[in-house]
Amino acid sequence: MSRLLCILFFLVGLRISYAQTSCAKLIPLCKNSFLEDYNWDGRYWRAELYGNETTEVYYTFFKGLRYRLIPCGSSDEKSPLRMRLYNANRTLLLDTGTQNPRPYWDLELSSTQLLIIELYYPSGNGCAALIIGHKASEALASQE
Amino acid sequence: MVFVAQRAKLLLRNVWVWIISSGGLILSACSSEPQSQTKGYEPDTTYVVPWEEIEKYMRAAPSPAQVSLWLRQEKVPFYREVLHDPTLASRYRSLKGAANLGIYLTDMAYAHATNNYQVAYEYLTSANRLAQLYGLSDLLSVERIRELDRLQDKPDSLQRLFSTYYAEIQERLESTGQQALLRHMILGGWVESVHLSLHLQEKSPSKQGITDLIRLQKSLVPLMKKMYAIDTTRNSESQIIFTHLTNIEAVLRKIPESTSRGAASTDPEKGLIRLEFQKDSPLPPDLIRELREKVYPLRQYLISV
Repeated sequence: MSRLLCILFFLVGLRISYAQTSCAKLIPLCKNSFLEDYNWDGRYWRAELYGNETTEVYYTFFKGLRYRLIPCGSSDEKSPLRMRLYNANRTLLLDTGTQNPRPYWDLELSSTQLLIIELYYPSGNGCAALIIGHKASEALASQE
Repeated sequence: MVFVAQRAKLLLRNVWVWIISSGGLILSACSSEPQSQTKGYEPDTTYVVPWEEIEKYMRAAPSPAQVSLWLRQEKVPFYREVLHDPTLASRYRSLKGAANLGIYLTDMAYAHATNNYQVAYEYLTSANRLAQLYGLSDLLSVERIRELDRLQDKPDSLQRLFSTYYAEIQERLESTGQQALLRHMILGGWVESVHLSLHLQEKSPSKQGITDLIRLQKSLVPLMKKMYAIDTTRNSESQIIFTHLTNIEAVLRKIPESTSRGAASTDPEKGLIRLEFQKDSPLPPDLIRELREKVYPLRQYLISV
């Protein structure tokens, strides 16, 4: 029995380790492909999502800056990684699942806010990561 | 034990290391003695969450790199007197050193944002001194500081490079299992940004952007509390910080809830999301003063030698 548990423990560990490694490899790929001229301050989020699981990202967004949200992941059913944007009080502002899939979204706000971004797959299991880039808003930059 | 568990999780990312280390971890888990409790302290269970969850709160507060760009956009004036003393860098150790690394990086970001490059250089040098304590000296090396110095007349390149360096510091601390240090560095950077915001707000009360940032603390402080609630019974530093954060939160609770929920619009062709929020009313000066009185002791605690 204990030997069986050990093997199970080993296999589960191996699977988690493999999934995390494959997800980690995706991050530089997404960053290099879509970050372009946005600054990246080293913050990314990574999770393994099974079934209807979701993962949350808390982030402060400033008025006057433009952000690039790059959902990055791969699922066993090849479904696109989606985002739900909530305000700090958990009121849903936008579900990108209602939009055509895109590799990234740019974001601007009329005031500085803490937002909660929920990552999810409409179906299937997979790894999910989010990279957030920032730069001066184009409107403001052109005024200078 | 929490940090031991976190380190173990990091090790799992490498299969072979995991195989070798799992035996050792099991043995150490069996033989470890219960950690000493901080006497007479009752944990606030509302805020206690698993360590895995804390990682997401650690990224909620804005990074110095982001603050720097935002301050530049806001065109804020420079006040040298409000910054921390850069000459104290060599006197910090352990977790307090990490908090001051965050403080110095934020001060550097502020000086840089207001085009005070000589001052920014001083703070970067102080950050470099502290970085040596945590195996980060190659990331904030003298060569790299000189590289930043050379880019003084190219703020965009300087900003990008600073963001990259900050990213590397975070990654290094995470990958080497130094989450406790990262937590303190983030706290230090956050405290300094609030301290600067309160000072800037006092000087220019009509600046909506600064007021928005102060108002935002109402949402951020509970997350900062969650970062520290996990080990208040074992760690007296966490307990002290948690108590300061509770005092700050009590003042922030007096800020009325925002009337604006926010509304999103999208431009699918450009791939752009716009979030519109109604303007909130200005914050009463008494509340700002009260908040300053509560933030000050936490900052003093972190910067005291």
